[in-house]
Amino acid sequence: MEAFLFWFCGILMFLGGLMTVTQRNAVVSAVWLIFAFVAAAGIFALLSAPFLAIMQILVYAGAIMVLFLFVIMMLQGPVMEDERRSPNKVWLVFAALPAAAILVTIISWIRSDGARSLGPAVAEGFGTAEAVSRLLLGRYLLAFELISIVLLVGIIGALALGKGERKLPWK
Amino acid sequence: MEITLTHYLVLAAAIFLTGMVGFIVRRNALVMLMCVELMLSSVNIVFAAFSRVHGNEGGHVFVLMNFAVAAAEAAIGLALLVEIYRRRRTIDVDDLKALME
Repeated sequence: MEAFLFWFCGILMFLGGLMTVTQRNAVVSAVWLIFAFVAAAGIFALLSAPFLAIMQILVYAGAIMVLFLFVIMMLQGPVMEDERRSPNKVWLVFAALPAAAILVTIISWIRSDGARSLGPAVAEGFGTAEAVSRLLLGRYLLAFELISIVLLVGIIGALALGKGERKLPWK
Repeated sequence: MEITLTHYLVLAAAIFLTGMVGFIVRRNALVMLMCVELMLSSVNIVFAAFSRVHGNEGGHVFVLMNFAVAAAEAAIGLALLVEIYRRRRTIDVDDLKALME
């Protein structure tokens, strides 16, 4: 059962990524990316991380992709790549060959270590919201506070950029 | 067949490289941003897998940090794209080479 779920979610996520890259229409790309992120939530659930699975769907498949689709809606015209130009075959070769080489290297490197099992079943309550938040607000409290500053800077930056030519309220 | 740590690592590597190829090949800046999100997401799988192997939730905390970084990156990147589109009427990266000339 675990093997079936892994292959199902893994193939769905890889397919979603592949279609995101190959589809010409940005809206279709975005919808395939949502598929990939929902499949990633399934992978998190398999790795006994239920809290991460929920957050993956809420934050990635929900918030971030809604942001992408809104921007596609605002830009309307240029979401289709220019069809008159020939597709970028040269770059495809330059990108795909090193990528294939890197993938083969990584796979042989990982396999030379021997297949490592996931180890014994985890304890009750592993990866739940309670267990993760104990760490988040305990041992990693400084990182938690710093990441909130990153988000604050992101909000202010997006606001300042999105205002365009109009005057900002604090100027 | 037992699913091992290796399976998860190879899956993450394959998805990361898919995103990398997409970032290099695509010319639409929106899709390039989506490819960056895909690469960030594949790294999260590695964090969660090692967290599971060591039986320690520390990796989950880093995945949550990664979520926040990805959200900030998407917000800033998309705001930049909208601003570029307002000024240049295009988001095709082949047309955005003012700094190159």
